[in-house]
Amino acid sequence: MSMLLRDRRMLLPLLLAPGVGYLLLFFGGPLASAFIGSLRLEDGSFTLDWYSRIFTRPSMLRGLGTSIYFGVAPVVVSLLVSVPLSLAIRRHFVGRKLFSGLYKLPLAVPGIIVGLMIIVLFERGGFIDRAIAPLGFGLPKLVRDDWGVGVILASVWKQIPFMTLIITSAFAAIPEDIRFAGRTLGASRLATFFFVEVPLAMPGITAAVLLTFIGSMGSYAIPDIVGPPTARPLSVLMVEEFNLGRFPQVFAMGMVLSAFAVAVLVAYYTLTSRIGDAHGRGDAR
Amino acid sequence: MSMLEITDITKDYGASRALHPVSLSVDEGEFVTILGPSGCGKSSLLRIVMGISQQSGGEIRLAGKRIDMLPPERRDIAMVFQSYALFPHMTVEQNLRFGLRMKNVAKAEQQRRIAHAMEICTLTGLSSRMPRQLSGGQQQRVALARAIVMQPNLLLFDEPLSNLDAKLRDTLRHELVALHRRIGATSLYVTHDQAEAMAMSDRIVVMNAGRVIEVGTPLELYRSPRQAFTAGFLGQTNLLAVTASGRKAHLPWGQLVDLAEDAAGPGQVSVRPESIGIRACDRGGRDTGSCAPATVAGVSFMGASALYTVAIGDTLLKVSQAGGDALIEPGRTVALSFPDRLPLLEDRAPDREAA
Ligand SMILES: Nc1ncnc2c1ncn2[C@@H]1O[C@H](COP(=O)(O)OP(=O)(O)O)[C@@H](O)[C@H]1O
Ligand SMILES: [Mg+2]
Repeated sequence: MSMLLRDRRMLLPLLLAPGVGYLLLFFGGPLASAFIGSLRLEDGSFTLDWYSRIFTRPSMLRGLGTSIYFGVAPVVVSLLVSVPLSLAIRRHFVGRKLFSGLYKLPLAVPGIIVGLMIIVLFERGGFIDRAIAPLGFGLPKLVRDDWGVGVILASVWKQIPFMTLIITSAFAAIPEDIRFAGRTLGASRLATFFFVEVPLAMPGITAAVLLTFIGSMGSYAIPDIVGPPTARPLSVLMVEEFNLGRFPQVFAMGMVLSAFAVAVLVAYYTLTSRIGDAHGRGDAR
Repeated sequence: MSMLEITDITKDYGASRALHPVSLSVDEGEFVTILGPSGCGKSSLLRIVMGISQQSGGEIRLAGKRIDMLPPERRDIAMVFQSYALFPHMTVEQNLRFGLRMKNVAKAEQQRRIAHAMEICTLTGLSSRMPRQLSGGQQQRVALARAIVMQPNLLLFDEPLSNLDAKLRDTLRHELVALHRRIGATSLYVTHDQAEAMAMSDRIVVMNAGRVIEVGTPLELYRSPRQAFTAGFLGQTNLLAVTASGRKAHLPWGQLVDLAEDAAGPGQVSVRPESIGIRACDRGGRDTGSCAPATVAGVSFMGASALYTVAIGDTLLKVSQAGGDALIEPGRTVALSFPDRLPLLEDRAPDREAA
């Protein structure tokens, strides 16, 4: 071992091995084999057919669109709830401690349970429907509906705690004096929020948005349980193809979904590093 | 005419009272400093005047109008924070422009005011820097410029120099005074540093434990403080218990001194170290009468002066002597002379309301 360590050329790879090696072995390996698998016909010859099917077959294209829709729509709704929620948590109110403990609970609940909960609550003839029936009201179709309201409800329920957690800490990181400075310079509460607080919290908000987007775009359990039967996202179609034994197709779909996630992450990193530069890490003179 | 008029402002944090009824006023163009030890309520008072903290009682008038119900953005007051509170996502110029945009100042006027403020705060050439690319002193100047461009009725400063090193603090102190002379903005300045307060202010408001103790010009408060707290907080002093009868009083070791006015009974006087005369007695002991009890216990040479600790009776006195040919060695007996017309101090009882 000491002999090995003395050889400087060996030192770097050795030091990197635990981290990079792990990534290569358990992440890069499967990804590479999936990628290779997605380029092969049954007989082992090269093909791009599996990819072209994704981008030409109507059901597949629909799946791709649905994946993006189920990624974007819940994030938009979650964001609209999480930002006001973050601001509310920052303020002092009675029961704030209890509340800020409780709102994190959904973090611990698996997606499949959330899906079942949504069915129990929002299905026609479900809990809420029966509860409001005596008043002469009935729920519209909210589960397995064409607009995926059930999926959005379930995803939002699951995303809000995570998003709120990140956004709250992003707002909390802004020093009180900076907010006050806005007010002393003639900005109303609202103007201070939009021109001072939101730009300063933007890295956190962006991180929350992109990470929840990646999560909900790839999620399987929720759209499978409460999603519309007519529009299945790629994740659900993948399992169908898997059950049919068309592994190269599964690999290709997986690659497309992963490429999306990676593209979003790359966009995030370039965006935040640019914001970081704008904040100026320059030398103080 | 007074620009700012603070009347009976109180502040309670839960059950504890941070400000007992506090009243003070600042004239137009005046530079007033609130001086007091840390925790005495200076920031609380300033934040209430700004409107970023709510008073528990009392009222505030600015240019004759009552402002204590207005939100901060409508008070026509600007503030320089101890932390500077610059917007980290904006350049220097954007920081200065922010308030002008919020107040809908015309573009050309914005430009003119920004250029002027950049110049008088010696920020020229830094307009496109981000705050993080600036030194502490530069950040402080940006904070100041950002307040000045607003041309407010009142400028508030909360210990703006306390985060800087001693040398820079000194430079900026002088710059601030010069700037105040030049633009004449009515200013209320908070500090716990008595040297800063004395060097900068037209008037000083001495605060302690949530009350105003005394108000006066730096000279008045230093030369003839009326309160024991003021005497002790501004510069060095000897606080001596005396027993007065008529115009005379006995110092603790029995020596008689002149008082400024008639008094009777026990009291307290403040004698500054530099107003006590000190002279070494002859070794032969010819003038033994006044020399006998006083002995030099210690001496530290300060450059421009020497600071002696003199033991007299049970008392240790601080005595400073400027110039002087040679230091008096410890152990020597000395003759001390006290100034005439010493004023008796009032020791404001803690439960009396400050005026
Ligand atoms: N937000 C607050 N909550 C409770 N007590 C406070 C708060 N702010 C200040 N205080 C208390 O009020 C007193 C005065 O504080 P402050 O005005 O900050 O003093 P100074 O600026 O003179 O150092 C202190 O005893 C401090 O502990
Ligand atoms: Mg303070």
